[in-house]
Amino acid sequence: MTKKIKEIAIYGKGGIGKSTTTSNISAALSDAGYNVMQVGCDPKSDSTNTLTGGKSIPTVLDSLRKGRGALKVEDVIFEGFNGIHCVEAGGPEPGVGCAGRGIITAVEFLKQENVYEEYSPDIVLYDVLGDVVCGGFAMPIREGVADQVYTVSSADFMAIYAANNLFKGIKKYSTGGGALFSGLIANSITFGAQKEILEDFTKQTKSTIAGFVPRSLTVTQAELSGKTTIEASPDSEQADVYRKLAKDIYNNKEEYVPSPLESDELKDWAESWSDKLLDLKKQEEGDFKI
Amino acid sequence: MAKNELDSEDYIVELDKNTCPTREQRANGTNVYFGKATELLEDAKKGNLKCTERGFQQSGGCILNFYLSVRVSTIRDAAIIFNGPVGCSHAALGYKELYGAIPESLGKPTNYNLNWLTTNLGEDDVVFGAKDKLIEAIKEAEKRYSPKAIFILTTCVTGIIGEDIEAAVNEIQPDIKATVVPIHCEGVRSKIMQTGYDAFWHGVLKYLVKKPEKKQKDLVNIASMLSYAWQDRIEIERLLGKLGLRVNFIPEFASVEDFEQLSEAAVTAPICPTYTDYLSRGLHQYHDVPFFMYPSPIGIKNTDAWLREIAKYTGKEEEVEKLIAEEHKKWVPKLKEIRDKFKAIEIERDGEKIDVLGSLGQGRLVTQLPYFDELGVRSTSAMAQDFDNILIDELEDVIEKVGDFNVMVNTFQAAEQLHITEHTKPDMALTCPFQGGAWKREGSVSRLHSLRGDPRKWSGQAGYAGAISYGNFLLQALKNESLQRLSKENTGVSVKQWYLDQDDPLYFAEKGK
Repeated sequence: MTKKIKEIAIYGKGGIGKSTTTSNISAALSDAGYNVMQVGCDPKSDSTNTLTGGKSIPTVLDSLRKGRGALKVEDVIFEGFNGIHCVEAGGPEPGVGCAGRGIITAVEFLKQENVYEEYSPDIVLYDVLGDVVCGGFAMPIREGVADQVYTVSSADFMAIYAANNLFKGIKKYSTGGGALFSGLIANSITFGAQKEILEDFTKQTKSTIAGFVPRSLTVTQAELSGKTTIEASPDSEQADVYRKLAKDIYNNKEEYVPSPLESDELKDWAESWSDKLLDLKKQEEGDFKI
Repeated sequence: MAKNELDSEDYIVELDKNTCPTREQRANGTNVYFGKATELLEDAKKGNLKCTERGFQQSGGCILNFYLSVRVSTIRDAAIIFNGPVGCSHAALGYKELYGAIPESLGKPTNYNLNWLTTNLGEDDVVFGAKDKLIEAIKEAEKRYSPKAIFILTTCVTGIIGEDIEAAVNEIQPDIKATVVPIHCEGVRSKIMQTGYDAFWHGVLKYLVKKPEKKQKDLVNIASMLSYAWQDRIEIERLLGKLGLRVNFIPEFASVEDFEQLSEAAVTAPICPTYTDYLSRGLHQYHDVPFFMYPSPIGIKNTDAWLREIAKYTGKEEEVEKLIAEEHKKWVPKLKEIRDKFKAIEIERDGEKIDVLGSLGQGRLVTQLPYFDELGVRSTSAMAQDFDNILIDELEDVIEKVGDFNVMVNTFQAAEQLHITEHTKPDMALTCPFQGGAWKREGSVSRLHSLRGDPRKWSGQAGYAGAISYGNFLLQALKNESLQRLSKENTGVSVKQWYLDQDDPLYFAEKGK
């Protein structure tokens, strides 16, 4: 009997720290002895960079393009930190073609080639670009791919907007056997108010928070050296944060359909927080003044 | 909207843009309507027409493949590239069958090749873009066919992935002798087939039509002769030839040179006004070629008026009166014969007039009804494939001439057509060939839209000869009910009775009124 592979998809607005978080979860789980695979689903193709020493790896789509018939899975799966299997879906150059279709093509290739049977990972993490802008980027949450979905979000309104869009996507596909939601990963949390905002958002959308990740310079330093925090500063407090998050996610059994806000509701909700948000902006700017 | 060049500028053709707006945007086009002609007119005037969704849809076409591709295929000394997956080009394959029966002795060009290519887009092209493939195809078209023009027909796929067709064209054009003409007829753009034709004219106006070297006072542009049939082409050539005028027929079987010289003509005359609208305005706005939109040469009176309009622009006012008199002498008695025969049938049935349900394009809607009047039959209901603001004045004119009637607007929806037929019980229902689903009834069904490739004399509808041959055709069709009777006896009805019992054949459509 083939073992049950845990497949999770991690979404979030561009630049919010999705790849950083995903890679650190992968690294922590790998460290803990699990067989881990990470699939970057973003045409930028840099999801797994901190797992491969800061280097880019050839993508599935680039390889497919060169020779569909002759392509083997070994050509697109690379060993990263601690034996993590790293895959990048890839995509077209900016401004041409269809990146969404690219994600579909790449994920279908992995399924057809029985990659998961062959590599037998305990967990597969899909790191997916921002908003669920089209059917292509919804591929990982559709039937037969991921089981659980997480979103990385800061207390920034645009990040929350992206999370709400993701909820809409999940709700849509949930009736057809699509993936269910398992929690919001609150990232870049420095102030109490940021926590409050995200807590209120999850309350409004009947969702939950999977963990809080504070903003930290350790992460930045590790990234600049092409590494995850787990690899670069294994003894840091931040590494412990990621280890806890990874463990929680691995053991998380919660799966449900969240209740996204309609756009008017979302706007009203954001307005109700506007004073707090402005205060936060000031505090943040103060925080980063040199 | 425009009746002639005097009000051409109520819509400006913007050739600096890549393509035209859709008919939905430009003229509130719709293909979902049922009501009285007066209601349609009122809704159109108020801007209430809306192309809403149907909850039930049968068959259909797209703006690329609803005859646009077949029309473009006929252009001589040109090549055609379908920029899409190979299936999008399937309609071009009908070309040989559609026109194959027309003999060269009737004037079909001896060069009857189909210069056809497709970029055959696949998954990788969708993901990464397909500019290089298009450029390859353009080079290949030049190498294989040495055409004077290469038409690129875009498809849903290139539309969805946002292919920059113009970038490819601009890059390759300096190395290619043929003029490359991109046509934005992505199916997803519009539900109104006329959008595809507008997109075609946009490309023609932007890339092919040359600045006039000299004006040719005896040249008359006539677009879309093959909305009718080959015999109509012969009839139009005969009539204008008698006035000493030459016809520039486009696009069917035209040469690239015919397109280039569109700007030199004395006038652009309509056969199908809704089809010609965009071209006529463009030629006027950019090259000062005058035009008129109404009437079309269908029936005796309309043909008279059509010829007189052309004569005005070509200085043939005296000649045209002579021609009309001559033609009347020959054809009016024949029309009277047909009229008498219809009348005889009418008397046999205690004076009840023969009722014809016309299935018409919107162009036919405004030209055919007055002709039925001439034949002495009436049309209490009519169907049109689509309707938009462009023909508001003309519709008003028709209502004035023949009174109010039912209008059903749909693009080949068989159930809706059956519904109106069952409700109005006309003596004869006229449809198009390839109507999109067969339906049958008591009484007669015949074709109104001739099969384009039917070269026989009975298929003519335009001009004086057409008025007579089509009158005879209708008479014959009215008498012969065997096909309908047999099929009704032997097969069931394809929709349930409860649908036919609804008052509103469009009860399942989202209401836009």
